[in-house]
Amino acid sequence: MLDHRLAPLDDTISIDDLTVAPYPIYRRLRAEAPVLRVKSVGRTFLTKAEDCKYVKDTPEIFSSNDPNTPMKRAFLAHTLMRKDGPEHMAERMAMAPALMPKTIQEVWAPLYRQFVDEYLDRLPKGEVVDLHVLLSEPIAARILAHILGIPEATDAQMSFWSQALIDGAGNFGWRPDLFEISDRANAEMDAMLARAVERVRAQPDRSALSVMVNSENPIAMSQIVANIKIAIGGGINEPRDALSTIIYGFLTEPEQLEETRRTGKWGQAFEEGVRWVAPIQASSRLVLEDVEIRGFRIPKGDTVMTIQASANHDEDLFDHPERFDVFRTKNPHQSFGSGPHHCGGAHIARRTVGAIMLEALFERFPNMTLPDPQAVLWRGFGFRGPINLPVKLG
Amino acid sequence: MKITFIAADGTETAVDAAEGESIMRAAVRNDVDGIIGECGGSMMCATCHCYVDEAWADATGQQEDGESDLLDCAASEVRPTSRLSCQIRMSAELEGVVIHLPESQL
Repeated sequence: MLDHRLAPLDDTISIDDLTVAPYPIYRRLRAEAPVLRVKSVGRTFLTKAEDCKYVKDTPEIFSSNDPNTPMKRAFLAHTLMRKDGPEHMAERMAMAPALMPKTIQEVWAPLYRQFVDEYLDRLPKGEVVDLHVLLSEPIAARILAHILGIPEATDAQMSFWSQALIDGAGNFGWRPDLFEISDRANAEMDAMLARAVERVRAQPDRSALSVMVNSENPIAMSQIVANIKIAIGGGINEPRDALSTIIYGFLTEPEQLEETRRTGKWGQAFEEGVRWVAPIQASSRLVLEDVEIRGFRIPKGDTVMTIQASANHDEDLFDHPERFDVFRTKNPHQSFGSGPHHCGGAHIARRTVGAIMLEALFERFPNMTLPDPQAVLWRGFGFRGPINLPVKLG
Repeated sequence: MKITFIAADGTETAVDAAEGESIMRAAVRNDVDGIIGECGGSMMCATCHCYVDEAWADATGQQEDGESDLLDCAASEVRPTSRLSCQIRMSAELEGVVIHLPESQL
């Protein structure tokens, strides 16, 4: 029989607390209240790894289609991120060939190597520079523009569109000014995409846009456009934040850098970086039927939040979870999620940031240092990473 | 039900699986190195790639719809015996099945 106790309700945790320093809060919740209704967020937090994985792997009960978010308004469309079942699958598969390892190996990895050289070439040696702004962000924008099929978009445009969509999709206060900015971004993207569609029709390539447009059985053009936008909104900040986080991890744990250099375990370092500070910290799912988690009744219509950030620090799975440790034996992190919405960009991130960038960066600047680790600011509740990374290149 | 995993370096690990359980799930539950199964069996990640021992190829049956597209994404070499282990469910005919693991999944 279902226990009819609802999860406890917390009215002390603020979104500001979660934005500035979430990890101590999550550590306390894992120990004291792993299923908790958090009033400020209006969601039921799940902070244990097992529960997060269960929710993601059970889409029949935990739907991605949550109509109560500002996402639709920000994107002016319903994107694949918030669909379920066959409809989601059809749209995802339409784009998938561009994101798969074979295409990465043949097209995107060689291109990324070229961009790495270009972007590293323009960094000044011997000076303190903000690597987050000068490297992590623009190179994430550059490769994404090519993968999506809009190479004509500048790094600055890509970054502006991405941030405008993220701010709009996270605009739970429904402020009109943020939607005005996302509307402007949508108009710019629509204009560029209209031209890009004509181009890939005439000259097909391996990009996501081309693969979708030239498919034998294409999805609706409105959905092609919407899903390119979701990839712009969701494809820059994660590789950006992962790269900056890993660089920070290495520069504050120099012996790990030394050992990674010696063993060549750059891929393992990538996995550890995204475990340590998950770029996407939390995801929402709408509960479709009454369900019980750890003895608490989660009623139909509730929205649960899987806190990947916390799952990745769960003491049940990880020793010294708060430490960046490239050489931990097991690393079953959930940073790419699980289930049907498993991150579509996972292969690309692993085979660019993980397999190419890290080694190239530390080879080019073997004596790079972080003069003042305290100067690095970390922010974010839904998405998280450093917002600056002042390093001295040498 | 018994499954024997043989790693790329030849190390054998035998685990117990329940009827109806996928080979991926049994491997992950028993901490078998060499199967990740990151997407939980949704055929999204291609990190549970395995080679079915040739003696068992008939018993495990054919690739499911969509499986070969995903196998194209596998990190290690794809062979005629390649399967996604999340798509093979344990049944009486598979008691004692032997599964070879690839060099890497990522």
